[in-house]
This record gives sequence, C-alpha cells and structure tokens, in this order.
Amino acid sequence: MDLLEQFETAAREAAATVERIPRSPNEIAAAVTRFAPRTLRIAVAETEGLPSELFDSCRALPGVFAGRSKKEWSAAEIGITEAFAGVARTGSICVAVDQGDTGYASLLARAHIAILASEDIVERPMDLFRLDRLRGKGLRANFVFVTGPSATADMGPLVRGVHGPHQLHILIVV
Amino acid sequence: MAASPTTSLESPRAVANKSRKATLLAAIRMALRVEGPAVRRNVQSLNRNRYVATAAIPDYDALKDRAREIKERSIAHQEELVATLEASVKRNGGHFYFARTAEDATRYAAEVCTRHGVRLVVKAKSMTSEEIGLNHVLEQEGIEVAETDLAEFILQIADEQPSHLVGPALHYSRERITELFKRHFQTDLPLDTGEELTKFAREKLREQFLKADAGISGANFIAADSGTLVLVESEANIRMTVLVPPLHIAITGVEKIVPSREDLGPFIELLAASGTGQPMTSYTSVFSPPLRNARVLTDANGAPPEREFHLVIIDNGRSKMRRDPVLREALYCIRCGACSNCCANFQAVGGHAFGGETYSGGIGGAWEAGTRDLASARFSELCTGCSRCVTQCPVRIDIPWLNAVLRQRLGQRDSSAASRAMKEAFAGVPAEDAGAPLQKLFFGRYDLAGKWGSRLAWLANGLSNFSLTRRLLEGLVGLDRRRSLPAFASPTLVSAARRLRGKPATTQAARHKAVLFADIFTNYGSPSRGFAALEVLDAIGVDVVVSEALPDGRAALSQGMIATAAKQAERAGAKLAEYLAEGRDIIVVEPSVLAMFRLDYRHLLEGEDGRQLFESLRAHSFDAAEYVWKCIQEDGLDAAAIFLASRSSRGTRIFYHSHCQQKTIGSAAQTEALLRAAGFDVITSEVECCGMAGSFGYKKEYYDLSLAVGRDLFGQVQLVEGHGERRVLVASGTSCQEQLQAGMQREVVHPMELLAELIRPAGAERADQVRE
Repeated sequence: MDLLEQFETAAREAAATVERIPRSPNEIAAAVTRFAPRTLRIAVAETEGLPSELFDSCRALPGVFAGRSKKEWSAAEIGITEAFAGVARTGSICVAVDQGDTGYASLLARAHIAILASEDIVERPMDLFRLDRLRGKGLRANFVFVTGPSATADMGPLVRGVHGPHQLHILIVV
Repeated sequence: MAASPTTSLESPRAVANKSRKATLLAAIRMALRVEGPAVRRNVQSLNRNRYVATAAIPDYDALKDRAREIKERSIAHQEELVATLEASVKRNGGHFYFARTAEDATRYAAEVCTRHGVRLVVKAKSMTSEEIGLNHVLEQEGIEVAETDLAEFILQIADEQPSHLVGPALHYSRERITELFKRHFQTDLPLDTGEELTKFAREKLREQFLKADAGISGANFIAADSGTLVLVESEANIRMTVLVPPLHIAITGVEKIVPSREDLGPFIELLAASGTGQPMTSYTSVFSPPLRNARVLTDANGAPPEREFHLVIIDNGRSKMRRDPVLREALYCIRCGACSNCCANFQAVGGHAFGGETYSGGIGGAWEAGTRDLASARFSELCTGCSRCVTQCPVRIDIPWLNAVLRQRLGQRDSSAASRAMKEAFAGVPAEDAGAPLQKLFFGRYDLAGKWGSRLAWLANGLSNFSLTRRLLEGLVGLDRRRSLPAFASPTLVSAARRLRGKPATTQAARHKAVLFADIFTNYGSPSRGFAALEVLDAIGVDVVVSEALPDGRAALSQGMIATAAKQAERAGAKLAEYLAEGRDIIVVEPSVLAMFRLDYRHLLEGEDGRQLFESLRAHSFDAAEYVWKCIQEDGLDAAAIFLASRSSRGTRIFYHSHCQQKTIGSAAQTEALLRAAGFDVITSEVECCGMAGSFGYKKEYYDLSLAVGRDLFGQVQLVEGHGERRVLVASGTSCQEQLQAGMQREVVHPMELLAELIRPAGAERADQVRE
C-alpha cells in the first residue's frame, strides 16, 4: 500500500473524512460547498507551502469572515487551513500554529477542513522531527498533529466533538 | 449544600494521604465499594488498547531502547540542559524561572498573574500542578481557576485528587457524573448521555476560555535546544489554554527536558500508544512559545495585548531523586500510565487506593517518595511484584524493583532500632532487612517454614488446619484464616528423588542435559509437580538431575527483604553456576523462581562476576514446559505421539492460566504451544494476574482485594464453560493454582501433571505417591 492510501485508511480510522480532489481553487471551493452546503460563517487561514491562489475561490465563498473578534471566531462553523504534512501510519495531519489564524481556524470552528498536498505525506510521526524529511521542512518548531476530531472519554463513553472541531475533513490535492 | 451521598470516611480526599497503613486499608475498602466497577472497565479498556497500539509499531522495542537512552542522557546532563533551555526560551522571547520548591513555583506563578491583573485562569491538566498545589495558592490570591480538562473539571467540582496519571477521573461512571453535575449545578437539563454531559461542560468552558486572562499548562516533553514544548491531548482544551489567552504559563518538572527537538520523535510515538492505546491522540501540540506570529483575539477595540510566555521548571525533590540510584529511575517516567493499566490490583481499585495525593500506580510510589516523603509511598504495598509492567514501560523502568526498595526503606523507617537489633541478633536477619515487620519476615522466609514444616509434616499439617492455629497465625502474621494453606509435603521433592532416582545415570547419548531446580515452593509445597516434570523430561530423553533445595530469594524479595534475597541469590547462583559448568540447562517448575533467574538476579548478583552469571542464567534457564517444547522442536519429535491428549483421564478440553511473571519473561506461549501440539483444546485466560501474587492474597488485609482481582479470572472460566462442557483447569504457578482452586472449588493441575499422566503405563504408581 502506498503512503497516500495508507494515510487515507488511517485518517478514516481516526474518524476523519477524506477526499481526493484535483489541485485547483475551484475544486477546493466546490469541495467545501459539498461538505457544508449552507454554511454562514467560514474562516480561511493563510497558506504557507501551498500557493495562496489555491484558496482564492474559498475566500470568495459567501459567509467568509476575517478579523480578530473572539465572539465571531467562536461562532465559526468552518475553518479552512493548509496541512503542511500528513502522516501515513496514524492518519494525522500537521498544521502550523505560529502564523496568522491557522491555529484558530483549526481549533475554534465547528468543523475543520484541511488541504493537504499528496506529496507531503510522510510515513510516521517521527519523520516530523527530522530535517531531511518533507524536502527540508521536517523540523518545524510550531505545529500540531491533528488526528481526527476532538474527542473525550472522560464523560463515560467516547464522545467526538469537545472544545475543538467536531469534524475533520481532509482534502488531498493531487 | 446538598448532603454528600457518601460518608466522610469514603471521600477520596480523606484517604489521599496514606502515610498510615490504616488509611491505606480504608482507601481499599472505599475503592472496592464505590469506584471499582468504573475503574475496572476504563482501565482494562486502556490496557487492551495499548496491546493493540504497541503491536502496530514495527520497531516498538528499538523505539523503547531509544527513548530509554535519551532519558538516561537527559537526566545525566540535567544541569547543562537547564542552562540551554533557559537560553532558548529567552531567545524565543519568553521568561524562564527555575523553582527549587513547590512554594517557589506557586509564588512565581501567582506573582505573574497578579502583575497582569489576572482574574480568571484556564488550566490544562497537569500532574505537576497537582503536586505543587497550584490551584489553592492562586485561589488564595483571589484568582479564579477553571480546570478545563473534562476529567479535571469533574474532580474540581467533586474536590477529589486524580485517580490515574492519564485519566484522572476514570473512577467516575457516566451515571455518577450525571448525579454530580445535577447536584452541583442544580440543573434540570438532560444530562443522561456522554454527549449531553460533554455539551454541558463544553458550553460552560467555552465561556471561560474566551474570558480568561491567562492559561496555565504543563508539558509532556521539552526540547532544550529550541524551547519547544510537547503537549498531548484529545479534547483541545490544552490548545485553547495555550492559544486563546495572551498570557501563557507552563509549569513542569525538570525531568521533562530532553536535549533536542530530534529527541522528541520516539516519545511522541510511544506516549499515545502506551498511554491511551491510540496511534496518536487527537492533538499533539509541538510549539515554541510565545507564538508571536499567531494573532491574539480580542473583545475590545484597540491594540490587543502582546503574547507573553513564562516557563517554570520545578525541582521539588527531583535533584534528590537524581542522586538516589533507585528513585532516579522514576525520573525517566513519561507518565503514560501503562504500569497502572496492566496492573491487576490497579484495575480493581484505581489510584484512590493504589496512589497518593498526586501520583498513582506502580510508578507512583517512587514519585510520592521523591516529591513528598517516604511514608507517602506506603500505597506501593499494593505492588505485588507481578512484573507485568516491566515489559509495558516505554522507558524500561523495573518498577517492581523500585517498589521492593521502597518496601525495605519503609520497614527501616517504621521499626525501632531495638527491634531491628533483636531480629538481627536472634533471627539472623541482615541489618538492612531487620526493619521488616513480623508478617514480612514470616512470608519472606517461607524456606524456613517449608524446611521444618515438611520435616514435621504430620504435626504441621495437622496444626495448620486447626482453627486455634489459624487464629494465632492470623493474629501474629496476618495470614488470613479463610485461605486454605498448602500442605507441607513429605517426602519433599529432593528427598524422594534421591531415594527413587539414586545417582543419575549419565547417559552419554543424551542430547539435552539439565538440572531441575528444587525451588522451595515445589520442593516443600507441591513436589508432585516436580515429579511430573521429571517423568516428562525422562520421556523425551533429557538427562536430568535434581538440585538440592535452595531458597532463591523470591519470597524475601517480595517482602522487600532485599539483603536476605541477595544472600540467597548469591548462594543459589553459586550452586547453579556449577550445573552450568557441567553443561546443564536449568529447569524451573515455579515461574516466579524462574523470573528471579531471568529478571531479578540482575539486581541481586553483584559485581562483574555477578553480571556474567546473571547473563548465563538468563540464557540457560527455562520453564519446564518451555524446555520440553524447545527439545521437541530441536529434536524434531512429534508431541502428539509422545503425549497423546486423548489418553487424558481428565479430558482434552482445558482452560490454561499462565503465571504473571511467566508472561513477562516470555515463557508462557510455549506451554500453550506444547499442550496444543499434544492434542489439547486450549483456551487461555486473559487476565494479567490471578490476584494471589505469591503471598499477597494470603495476607488478611488484602484478602478482599485479592479475591476481587481473582473474580476476573473466575469469570472468564465461567464464561468459557457457559458455552460448553467443563474444562480442565491448568495453571503454571503455585499461587495461581491456590487462587483458582479457591475460586472454582475444584482441582487445578500443572501442565506437567497433565502431560505426565499421558506417558505413564496404565496402572503405574505415581512416584510421589510412594510414602515413607
């Protein structure tokens, strides 16, 4: 099984949803609309590794907001961010937290949509701590491994959706 | 205020400090009555998940070696790492404070908060903050503290200490949480499912996150070279805590520092798998605060505040632990809780009994002793030394050894100099062990009881079933009178073997030469197992002799009588070395004794010679069934032809329970393989330990706990038999046999006894039935 398939299987096991789509601004925006047809509040974070134009159609969707109001952010329904890496064995994605709004968009919104480039999938979590992986991007100082939606077992049975997103949708751009 | 449903004696807080044994016993009663079912369900689920998750890591063992090596290196170079970390944090734009004591740490955190006019702190789960009593200090300063981990949220409402390193409220069932919330919040909202409870808590806490002036977290790991923190969680409350409020204070122990960011990799993979049994938890944050490039959200107009970060590294006893060769091991701990989850006693009672004010489980004793005082580690009595945690610890800490040492130190602390001198002078107990109370001396020197009991078996066995004797034994040494005592055997294995086998005929042709070690449990207690092993070994052509009966140190070690154990190990080791020199492998019937040779002797045999002897013992000692299986495979024999299961008078369907230490040293699977190859239909138990654990279940004060643990095993037998006819009960350990026999009220045999019958000509007398 190649890394991409392994990643998809593991991410689904971690209760994320995954789609493969062509790498274009319109395809991404269409996928967002398919995932959340009547969304009123969408936050779109900055890109870093991916070209910024890739998010242009998303930024033009109705309901996209910007700003730094706690209230507004806390009511966000969808947060869209780049994932600079995926981890095949665990189905995790890696999201930067040290720039602009990526941290909030992947945390405060009810659902998180992450855009992952298919070539950025590594084998195991440890690879994120090696400079020689991800074409030299492998040893970042500020990021989060996101593996499925937020969850808890503290209230008895397993519950998905706690303080973080209740859903994680990964768009793999090929 | 609504009346508490439990009496004050049953409040976990009241039994948090177990410096006194009476409190420990009260805590066990409370836990068994109130918390047991939830603890068992949750802990056993974590335990099962860990086995699955670690099996999915192809280089699991190599990863553990790397993690261990990094931790050893980190603790060895701690001072340099602290200096490097301080420079890194300052370079990143943060503040650094090294706190010698708990008071220093809490004062610093309170000062930072006061300086910023903080009114509300959101707090992520942190055992270290529990250790230093942070909330109390902040609250005294008029600062409100909101625990945001849902388990800590429950505990804050209930005013209880954590019961587990990873799941601090796993002693709460969903029903009890509902009851607690309804009472505390006086609400009529439906709170009858996990979803409803979670939604309720989420809404309360979301307000707090947005309102909070500061966030306080711990850290799972910190890289010195970059000031990078790792925080592992699933609820996203930690991410909220460190990102939403502009002021972040992280407080953590100095042992969490590793040299570089590259060193974080192995731990990130090991922690989730070992802790919750997931490949990864929902969120593993890797970040180097302050996050200057992450915008700050605000409510007000105008410029938002700058992000500010303080790292508080605490010592609070850790440098003393570092200088202590035994407690130093605990500093390698990554707080995954695997040692709690795989512990049969912990599964039954949880950390409110098997734990102190902060730390719990097998490793908890060393932590309480290191950060508080020795007496706080008294709960480590509940470690039976079953050793299941030894192979589950991701940094390879020999936790039972730590607890044996704590037991010895507690004995020394508790006893008077006069009583120690008496025991030393009159009973020949080594000075280091002379603090052991009478109960421990009794169980620790079972070899003496066995020696005299079997010589005077007619008298001893008669007496030991006499109710006055049992009352006396219970009063004097706490031997529970409800337990039936193994009879002292006459003849013993050694004396009968000498008479029946004479001088061993050295068969030059034999491919396998071995010695059957006459361990004290087999020799004095159940020689029939030894004879059965001899018959089986003869049948497959092993040239086998029987050793003299020697105490191996297991009984003494289990009571924390380490000096006695070391003396016995030295003597037994010297004797075994002679057999090794003759080219004989060592065969052991009692798994706990085999585990001494393969595991514990590394602590007991001293010096370079001792190390070498341990290595050869480890390589050349075998469980009886393990050895038989090895020979059968090496010689290409057909097990089914030698041991025809269908001849068994007991039947071919069996339920096999392997011994805890046997599982740890990797000699359990061979028994199953051998029995299957012989044609038996084998179902195995899935419990970590039977609960008897040597002498543990015989002790009056632990009888109920021992049976509570045993019920899992009995339940498995009943479940299996519920689907069909009765199975033959087979167990490898002496004490497992006693426990299973007591629980199921029927015969339990050793694998060798099961096999020996199959090779005996019809009507032949069993060797051990020859009486003097």
